[in-house]
Amino acid sequence: MNNRLKELRAQRRWTQADLADKLAVSRQTVNAIEKGKYDPSLPLAFKLARLFDCPIESIFQEETLEPIR
Amino acid sequence: MRAIIEVICAKGLPKRDIHNANRVNLLTLLWASTMLLGTVIIELELPLGDAIFTAVLLLHVTISIMMLLAFKRFITELDELEKKVQLDALAIAVGVAIIVFSSGSILANAALVPELKPWLLIIIIAVTYMIGIIKGRLAYR
Repeated sequence: MNNRLKELRAQRRWTQADLADKLAVSRQTVNAIEKGKYDPSLPLAFKLARLFDCPIESIFQEETLEPIR
Repeated sequence: MRAIIEVICAKGLPKRDIHNANRVNLLTLLWASTMLLGTVIIELELPLGDAIFTAVLLLHVTISIMMLLAFKRFITELDELEKKVQLDALAIAVGVAIIVFSSGSILANAALVPELKPWLLIIIIAVTYMIGIIKGRLAYR
């Protein structure tokens, strides 16, 4: 899963620790999401969307879009 | 080596998780102490009477239940990435313990190795759990 988290965070001049505090998660969680090593849970993804005031799909994108049968 | 020390320390967890982890650690220490106390009473054949032995046993069971509930709360409220790391490590620990004990019991039945002791189960689970946590934290760095 690709994401724009680092870009959105940088726009607001927040550090990973700042964002982690706002989300009540660890800095490691923010770091792992930004690096694409970890996909967040749905509640955390919604929380991010609310925090950045944009839809989830504008933050997270699938790497390859496979057709659904 | 520095990376391993950093992941063992697990800096950056929310205060709630550190508080819950400290509670689990304290109860684990008490649990080990009461287990040791019970073992010492039996091994040294201390003439303390049935009432004191029963009290030590009840204390051990009570602390065990408190430790279990504290650990459940710790996992439930844990930061979601750390929760994944901990649950993956638990799965590995339980899997390794089952493999070692099932293989060990076959070998013991064939009289190739001595009967496996219960304390070995605790050590296997503890060591593989710790290795699993370190491996998981390193993977998500």
